[in-house]
Amino acid sequence: MKKILQYIKIIKLGDTFVIVTFMGLIFWSVSQSWNMPSGQYLKIENNQEDSKVFSLNQTVNKQVIGFLGSSEISIAEGKVRFVKSPCTKKYCIHHGWINKINQTIVCLPNQITISIVGDSESYDTVNY
Amino acid sequence: MTQSIIKPTKKDHTIAKLAAIAIVLSVIEFFLPSPIPGIKPGIANIIILYTLVRFDFSTAAWVSLVRVFVSSIIVGSFLSPTFFLSLFGAIVSLVLLYAVQKLPKPYFSIVSLSLIASFGHIVGQFIIARLWIIPHDSIFNLLPLFLISALIFGLFSAFVCNILLKHKLKKHTF
Repeated sequence: MKKILQYIKIIKLGDTFVIVTFMGLIFWSVSQSWNMPSGQYLKIENNQEDSKVFSLNQTVNKQVIGFLGSSEISIAEGKVRFVKSPCTKKYCIHHGWINKINQTIVCLPNQITISIVGDSESYDTVNY
Repeated sequence: MTQSIIKPTKKDHTIAKLAAIAIVLSVIEFFLPSPIPGIKPGIANIIILYTLVRFDFSTAAWVSLVRVFVSSIIVGSFLSPTFFLSLFGAIVSLVLLYAVQKLPKPYFSIVSLSLIASFGHIVGQFIIARLWIIPHDSIFNLLPLFLISALIFGLFSAFVCNILLKHKLKKHTF
């Protein structure tokens, strides 16, 4: 305990200022990543055709044909989730609702990806 | 055998010795398992901090850059994305260190220097990652995690460096 106190002793007034600023930055970045803007469009990709974009401002269930069979996706006024899927592990369903830009649910067995996009679209990932 | 034309100065010897320690530390760190990819304690930065306090900025910059190049060659990541991430992290943190090295000593200790350097490391890596490796805004969701680890390991290396600096060393060692 005495040793720990010795280490803390080297922290001076300016250091406390730096540490507090650093913690402020952490809180700012956490709040930024939690308050991502909600998206307006839903992009659905499967193994058979080009990706399709739908508006999120509707309440509708959609059937999407994948590799194993038909998955059901539910859109409910700004958010979206998987409802039914022919895959075995059902990770896509357990993921729950998504509503923020860049959030994505991937069903690997059925080869379906749904993601929320905003007004402008960014690049895809570059891989090495 | 011909005589070497390059005459290494005393400063070159210092840089070589310190860089050797930093390289060994960063190679050891490469083999340590990490719970989250990319989060590393950065123990080699203790040596950089030590150099900056005990010598001057240009020695620290030399040690830092030599470490980045040589350790990447040893580990086998030279010119790969990992190498550029660590290079730009080192450059940004050196630029920040250059800006803050003249902070008044009575108010700012090595803790400030260490935290600012680790912050610069994260910022440099995120700039490169956003511009080049993963050009997508969702990468900034990782920022809180990396900033928290930068705070913890920045404090840690400041305390370790403080212990190192307390030791009175002989004249011909460093």
